[in-house]
Amino acid sequence: MKQLNIIIAIALMSLSQMALASAKVTVNGMVCSFCAQGIEKSISKMDETKAVFVDLKNKVVIVEAKEGKTLNEKLISQEIIDSGYDVVKIETIPQTVAQFRTQQKDKK
Amino acid sequence: MKQAISLASFFLLLLGAVSHSFAAPMGFKNSWMLMGDFSKTYQEFGLNYATTANDAFGISASAMQTDNSVSKQQNLEAVYTRKLARWNLPEAQANIWFIGGLGSTTGNTFTGSKAMASPGIQVDYETTRFYSMASARVYTAQGATSKITTARLGASFYEADYDEPQPWVVIEARRMTFVCKQYEFTPMVRVIHKRYFVEAGANLSGQLRFNFMYNY
Repeated sequence: MKQLNIIIAIALMSLSQMALASAKVTVNGMVCSFCAQGIEKSISKMDETKAVFVDLKNKVVIVEAKEGKTLNEKLISQEIIDSGYDVVKIETIPQTVAQFRTQQKDKK
Repeated sequence: MKQAISLASFFLLLLGAVSHSFAAPMGFKNSWMLMGDFSKTYQEFGLNYATTANDAFGISASAMQTDNSVSKQQNLEAVYTRKLARWNLPEAQANIWFIGGLGSTTGNTFTGSKAMASPGIQVDYETTRFYSMASARVYTAQGATSKITTARLGASFYEADYDEPQPWVVIEARRMTFVCKQYEFTPMVRVIHKRYFVEAGANLSGQLRFNFMYNY
């Protein structure tokens, strides 16, 4: 029984880690698709990045990690700063890029 | 032979330029930006490469002529673009740019080719729905100096996502002293979508205008 509890606990932890797969970065100064393109290109090149979505309306960048990889928030932040923009905050969200996009479309 | 020279000149034109009349005059770090500005009195074609988020190096070719096509001048130059300052705001962005070229100019108002320098400055402020810009650039050569001053205002029809085309209406006031002492006013429709940017319109005299940018 004890072993079963441990297995369930590990499984739940893994599931929660899988769910917390994306970083949501709030960015100042992002106003056009040319800005978005630069950020998307530089973050897409990072090893741990699976997908990137730049939400110009809400001024956020969503970065999804590859399975088994951990996002490096400092590196993401630095890439955005190097692209010429200011990072206001980074938070972890439970959605993937696809889920976030669907959620935003549903809000419309 | 004359045709070959014309063809060579055309390709040189296709290899040139940094424009002074667009949004940002350079792309993001490690990107190429291709730009063109075409009207009866002014044509420019350019290419630059951004080595950092603040610096771009490129080449530019431009040609100016008066309305009656009597006086003509062509410029070919290496151009450096520097983002001097940027303010990143929650809903907006403001910039000050330096644009400077070194090259040569030829024309039918003087003989031979002259060394030319073209320092300029651009300031802009934009949101996802509003755009404003002012720029001034001097094309200076011995006995053949002219200035181009430009101001632009634009508004978009709606806020768009990155992967959707966004149409804008833009009005430009431009004064090219080589062409005319007065400002020309050109309303244009602009569409920005991902990597490209195109503008088309006509000035109040009915002369057509077409601009484009492609960033990759």
